[in-house]
Order: sequence, then C-alpha cells, then structure tokens
Amino acid sequence: MLPMFARSALILAIASRHLAKRKRQTAVAIAGVGIGVGFFLAVSAMMIGSQNDFIERLINAAPHIIISDEIRSPRPQPAVRAFPGTIVEVHGLKTRNEVRGLKDWQEIAQAAAAVPGAVVAPSLSGAVTLRVGGREEPLGIIGVDPQVEEKIENVQENLSAGSLHNLETSQGGVIIGEELAQQLGVSMGDTVGATSAAGTRSLKIVGLFARGRGQFGNNGYVLLREAQSLTAQPFVINRIGVSIPDPYQAQMVAADLESRFGYKAQSWQERSADFMTLMLTRNVIMYSVVSAMLLVASFGIYTVVSTSVVDKRRDIAILRSIGFSQSDLQRIFVAEGAMLAVLGVLAGWLLGTLLMQVLGSLQFPILGRVEHLPLDRSARQFAIAGAASLTAAIIAAWLPARKAARVDPVDILRGAA
Amino acid sequence: MTALMSARGLTRTLAIEPPVTLVRDIDLDVSPGRFHAVIGPSGCGKSSLLYLLGLLDRPTSGNVEYRGADTNSLDGDERAQLRLEQFGFVFQFHFLLPEFTALENVVMPIRRLGRLSGSEMAERALNVLDSLDLADQAGKTPDRMSGGERQRVAIARALANDPALILGDEPTGNLDSENSARVVKIFQRLAHEQGRAVVCVTHDPSVAAAADVRIHMLDGAIERIE
Repeated sequence: MLPMFARSALILAIASRHLAKRKRQTAVAIAGVGIGVGFFLAVSAMMIGSQNDFIERLINAAPHIIISDEIRSPRPQPAVRAFPGTIVEVHGLKTRNEVRGLKDWQEIAQAAAAVPGAVVAPSLSGAVTLRVGGREEPLGIIGVDPQVEEKIENVQENLSAGSLHNLETSQGGVIIGEELAQQLGVSMGDTVGATSAAGTRSLKIVGLFARGRGQFGNNGYVLLREAQSLTAQPFVINRIGVSIPDPYQAQMVAADLESRFGYKAQSWQERSADFMTLMLTRNVIMYSVVSAMLLVASFGIYTVVSTSVVDKRRDIAILRSIGFSQSDLQRIFVAEGAMLAVLGVLAGWLLGTLLMQVLGSLQFPILGRVEHLPLDRSARQFAIAGAASLTAAIIAAWLPARKAARVDPVDILRGAA
Repeated sequence: MTALMSARGLTRTLAIEPPVTLVRDIDLDVSPGRFHAVIGPSGCGKSSLLYLLGLLDRPTSGNVEYRGADTNSLDGDERAQLRLEQFGFVFQFHFLLPEFTALENVVMPIRRLGRLSGSEMAERALNVLDSLDLADQAGKTPDRMSGGERQRVAIARALANDPALILGDEPTGNLDSENSARVVKIFQRLAHEQGRAVVCVTHDPSVAAAADVRIHMLDGAIERIE
C-alpha cells in the first residue's frame, strides 16, 4: 500500500471513530449543515426558478431585439463629418421632415439575418381608431407576417380565442384584446370600423388576446399589407423584430446593428433594465441569507471539533509520542469537520430534494388556470451548496485543529502521570 | 559496546519567572541490550530527562545523539519519524485510544509507518500481542480489559515497529505487584533477549533492582550511576 494513501486512510479512521463516539453532537452538527443546505436548495430553487420563468417571459414576450425607425441622437451634420476633430459648430438647425419608416430595411433585415439561426420579422406599427356603434377606442396596430411572427413572439400562447393564422385566411382580420372587445361590446367574428388617415375600413375580429397579457392586449394585430394600407404607408416598414438562438447575445447584436445603421435597436435586456436590477437585488439578498445559514451551520462543526480537540488531548499526546507529526494531528481534526460537512451536505441534498417535491406539488389557481411554482432544480445549486458548506466546514474545523497540532505532548504526559 | 544514544550536557530550563531548571548538565550513555532504570525522589527531573531522550522535548542546551547523529538539528517531522521507527514509549497511564480495539491500537504505529500491507500489519501486531500473552485480547476495547492487560497492550503498541529503544515512564506505577513483576520480566526480555535499549523512569524498588544500570538523580542532576 502506498504510504500516503495508508496515512490518509488512518487519519480518516481515527476521525470517524472520534465522531462515532459522540453520536449526539455529531448528529446535531450534521443536522445543522443538512438543514442549511436543504433550505438553501429549496429557497434558491424558488428564487432562480421564478427568475428564470420571469426572464423567459420577458425574452419570449417580444422579439429579442426590436429595431425601430427612431434615432437616439441626431445624425452628425455633413460639415462635422467632413472635418472630424476640428472646430465646426452648427447652430440653429432645423430638421427636415423625413418620411417615417426604416430606410433600406431590406439591408438591415439581411444584416440581422446574418446572425446564425436568427429570425427576422419586419412589421409596421401605426394607430387607428376602432368604432362600433357610437363607441370609439384608439388602438395601436401592428402589421405582421404570421408565418414569421409566430417564430419570434408567443402570440398564439396569449390568445384566448382564434389563431394568428386566421389573419391569413380571412380578409381584413384583426386580433384585439379581450378587455377592448368587451369595452366595444364585440366578440369573435364581429366586424368593427377602423378609422385612420387613409379613411375608414371595416375589420373582422378573428382572435382575442387573454386578459392580463401586457402589450398583446393593448395592440391589435393585422396582416402587414393591411397595416400598410390602413396607415397609407405602402411598402413601409418601421419595426424589425429579431430573435436569435441565444437571447443573452441580444445586447451585443443590438449594439452592432445600431452602430451600423443608426436606427435604435433595443435588446430585451435594455427594455427590461429595471427588472434586471430587481433580479440582481433579489440574488444579493438570497446569497446573503444563504451565507448566513451556512455560517451558522459551520458554528456547529466548530463546536464539535473544538470539544473533540479538548477531550482528546491525551490521545493527541500519545499519538505524538508514537510518531504522528503535528500536521497528522491537524489533519485528523480537519477530517472530522470535513466528514461532518460531507454527511451534512448529503442529508441536505436529500432534504432539499424532498422540499422541492413538496413545493413542486403545490397548486395555485390563478385566473382560472392552475399554476405551479416555477422551480429550478439544476445540479448547479446542489454543487454550490455542497462546495460552500464544505469550505465553511473545513475553515471551521481548521481553527480548532491548529490547536490540536500545537498541543505539547510533554505537558499532557507530565500532567497525567 | 558503543552507545545507542548519548546525552551530553543536557539542560532543560523552563522560561517562566523565576526560571525553573528541570534537568541540568546530564551526560548519559544508553546501550543496546541493557535495562536502565532512572531513579530518584519525585520532582528530581526523571521524567523530564526521559522526554528529552525521547525527543518529545528539546533541551535548552546540550544535545542528544542517536546512533552518533545529533538530534538537535532535526525538525519536528524528522523527530516524529525517528520516534515512529526507532522509539517505543510506555507510560504510567496506558494511553490506549479508547475507540479502538487492542489490535487496532497496536496496528496504529505500523499503519502510520505504512511499510507493510494490510494483512502483514495485522499479522505483525498479532505476533507482538501473542508474545505478551495477549492474543485473546486482540478484539477487545481498552474499557473491557484489566489494568495489567491494558499496560501490556500499551507495551505491545510500543513494540509495534520493532524499536531499538524502549522508554518507560513509571510503567508499573498503576499496577499491582503481580502485574508489575510481569512488566519487569518483559522489559528484561526486551533488553537481554532482543538486544533493545530500555530506559525506565521508576519509583518502584523492584524495577530498579531488576535493572542492569541504575541512574540516581537528585535536583535535576545525575547523582551517581551504578
């Protein structure tokens, strides 16, 4: 047998016998770590689960990147561009009225589509007034190509009636929110009047968005060419939605597109910056609480190991006289802490799994639907909890273990004689 | 005969206020195959001398040579290794590890040395136990043995790595006369039959009488050697 391996096995054997002798203390310390780890897993599963769920909604609710016909800062004047870095000042500028819409949108769409796996959906948004009987309601409309749109937005999921493809099959179809339909007193299949700069047309309701679906309920969806003719802007596109395979690349792709074409390209992260900050705060809170839990658990380990060191002073002295080195003694007591932590982590993983089962089985009826808590059960959290507990335990055990190494055998042997 | 271990000018002073000198200016040779008894009144520095010889303590001045090599220059790990391979300690109290059986206690130094396979270790430990009539105690924990048995297991543990030097600190101090006599016999055998050097600190006249060399100490110094 290799001497190093034999020595480690011996150290573990001594440490485990020490622990086995003090069953109650050992059990309490293991329970401390186990409960800490278990609740960490349950809490983090809920926190991360709800965060992922929320982010997924944010990501999928709308295209990952929306390029619109706005510019964040006015284009530099030709004189400034011609002499960069020199003193050219232009005062009293009067901006020319430009035709709305994205110029050269095909080129932008091509550039966006160059990202592997990207789906690009050009659309036109505008405003109309819906009129039914004496009632009038303003409505933002979005003209889309249903074939492409369904790939970048969860339209279908948010419908309570009809389908996005109804736009293609029925002439002059529109999808509006349930709330608006109720206000106007119309339902599926009814016809409403839509007034815009181009005159009045009649539209048929071919789909309804469910209540409480944010931006879907506030807009009406029509076919792209319908929107172009309703707003008298033939061939115009003023919005390009882009979805990419890795949503977390959105910010980078958006910045690139914006710098190349000058039009405002907004990533989902930018649109939801305030929510992202909130998530960060939540994470900071969660990890603070969890660190405190693990710290408290490591106090238990400190107590067990330091009592063990005091109780075993005679054994320490005799082991030293036999020929164990100071570092051997230190390792014995660090091993005690590590063993407690390993057992505690295993117990905690079990407890955490059980808690997640319980949490996952809870049902919450919300607006007629049965919702489950979104839980994140990834191995990552198990690994984090395990590594953090083990580290905390080894530090907690190392402090008293140093004392074990420093015990002077002569003091003990003389005192006991 | 050349000495296995020799002490020259060995002095140990505790750096407390006022300083206390435990052992002063000791010159001593320890020879293989001989049973040395260190005797003297309580507090005369017998045990302190033994701890210095056993490299558990470091002298304030002077040195201990083992097999002709100076031990002052060894660091803690090297001294521990020397104790493991060459020395065997027996104390007044048996100091067996209470969680382990007799066999496991004896195997412990062998495992720490790590030169034998698992079965060789157990075989060696059983042989040592058997040589001390303890074969039937192998599976027992210390709390289920008599005082004499425990002390003999402690001796077995001291012999586990076949040491050249046995150091005893009142090894019969807690034993009745029958068990004391047994231990003395064992120590004699270790010296005379097995050629080990035995150094035994004792109050017990019967131990002193059985020794080949008697080192009388008084007030930290050697009074006479006979």
